[in-house]
Amino acid sequence: MKKYRYISLLLILFISTSSLMGGGGWPQPKGKGYLKLSEWWVISDQHYTDSGLIDPNVTTGIFNTSIYAEYGFTNRLTGVLYFPFYSRTFSNNIVSGTTGEVITPGEAISGLGDTDLSLKYGITKPGSGLAIAVTATLGLPFGNSSGGTLGNLQLGDGEFNQMITADAGTGWQVGSIPFFANASLGYNNRTKEFSDEIRYGLELGANLFNNKLWVIGRLTGVESRRNGATAATANATSIFANNAEFTSIGAEIAYNIGENWGVSASATGAVRGELIFASPSYSFGVFSKF
Amino acid sequence: MKNSIWFLGCVFLTILSSCIGDDVIDDAVEPIVRIENLIDSIQVGTDYQFEASFLNNVGKPESVPLSWSSSDSDVVSITDDGTASALNPGSVIITVFAQTSASTFEESFDLNVGASTTTVVQPTSRSGVIRTTSSYDLTGDFTIEEVDGSLVVNIAENYRASTALPGLYVYLTNNPNTIAGALEIGAVEVFEGAHAYSLASVGLNDYNHILYYCKPFNVKVGDGEIQ
Repeated sequence: MKKYRYISLLLILFISTSSLMGGGGWPQPKGKGYLKLSEWWVISDQHYTDSGLIDPNVTTGIFNTSIYAEYGFTNRLTGVLYFPFYSRTFSNNIVSGTTGEVITPGEAISGLGDTDLSLKYGITKPGSGLAIAVTATLGLPFGNSSGGTLGNLQLGDGEFNQMITADAGTGWQVGSIPFFANASLGYNNRTKEFSDEIRYGLELGANLFNNKLWVIGRLTGVESRRNGATAATANATSIFANNAEFTSIGAEIAYNIGENWGVSASATGAVRGELIFASPSYSFGVFSKF
Repeated sequence: MKNSIWFLGCVFLTILSSCIGDDVIDDAVEPIVRIENLIDSIQVGTDYQFEASFLNNVGKPESVPLSWSSSDSDVVSITDDGTASALNPGSVIITVFAQTSASTFEESFDLNVGASTTTVVQPTSRSGVIRTTSSYDLTGDFTIEEVDGSLVVNIAENYRASTALPGLYVYLTNNPNTIAGALEIGAVEVFEGAHAYSLASVGLNDYNHILYYCKPFNVKVGDGEIQ
């Protein structure tokens, strides 16, 4: 039991590095929290089509500079905020290879991004061998969903969504190396004729170098219920297209520089998808525990 | 130390907010000389003013020096501005040359000299097949015809387009590689079956391709040559 508590504490301290999966099945202890300033970005000149093949598109980039925060209201109830306070998206100029003239000028917009506000509740007792939690998330459409001349530059999807996620995680030790695994399954109810989504994720992490370095492998995915409007009725593209689907794998490292703070970096790429960029995304962040 | 890291982090994040770059596309097409008012025969003793235009290597009209020649100036003489004079019965080949700084392009046609002037009967309609040039479903036949001064583009019953693609638009163009210089018909709202577009002030021979283009992705989806 003591061992589980130790590993759980480690996990609470270090796992909160992903905005998608949050702290997994481990809520924050009462009065404790986690704060992360990070930059996430993807730049892509190709996308997965509806048949799963890859087609070109004008080079488009999306950057989210965000604050991710967790705070334990009680030992079981944690508040979670993902707030992209500065988002920027751009599309390149399209230039004639024959004349050198700009055929379609590139554009860029910036502003707030879509924000997630969540409450996570620990179903199991803190320190349990298997940590189970449910999270209710409100997706607040703060991001501009129709920017640029054609209205196709987006900092968000423009819809208010509600998501319920269940997480189950466990930790164990092999020799002196702590490991953890977490699985999540969520249902995202979307409005404005966007299709609902089923979201899933698996994480496997190991803590190396005397609790200094977490190495995390991650598989995440989104499956569309296809119960909304077709993509043809909207201008949405990039990561905001309706009926988008993907399965991605990624890796993240989080290095604890000081006792309560550190840096993290990640790279994630889709191995299959529909109506989603076919290029890897990256992130870099500085986190602090309090 | 901690504050420095936070500061450096902020600087790094700001730098990452990237600038707009250039995507260069291959939009070259074969330049063509187009004769606008063909005739099949001309009456002895009369004159006829030919008109021609030049579409450059991106399919855009370009003003370049044109010159005309006749294969037999005893039958038909023609001036550099395209004025043909029918002198004697017979047949000739008329050629128009477009001179650009890089090359000379030409177009020829047969002309008979007889008892009357006959305008070549242009087809009253043209047709083609829409094909996908992407991974998105797009297929179907189409015709274009002039009806009461408007050009009507009739898309056939066998037409089908993917509804998964956002922002699909249809154009008429002389360069199927780009929407530059193309006539935007409008957003695609029908994704299966027959439908039509009516376009005012557009001639039957003004364009030689139909083009389907995804505006949000800024990429060509399909095209069809107008035969």
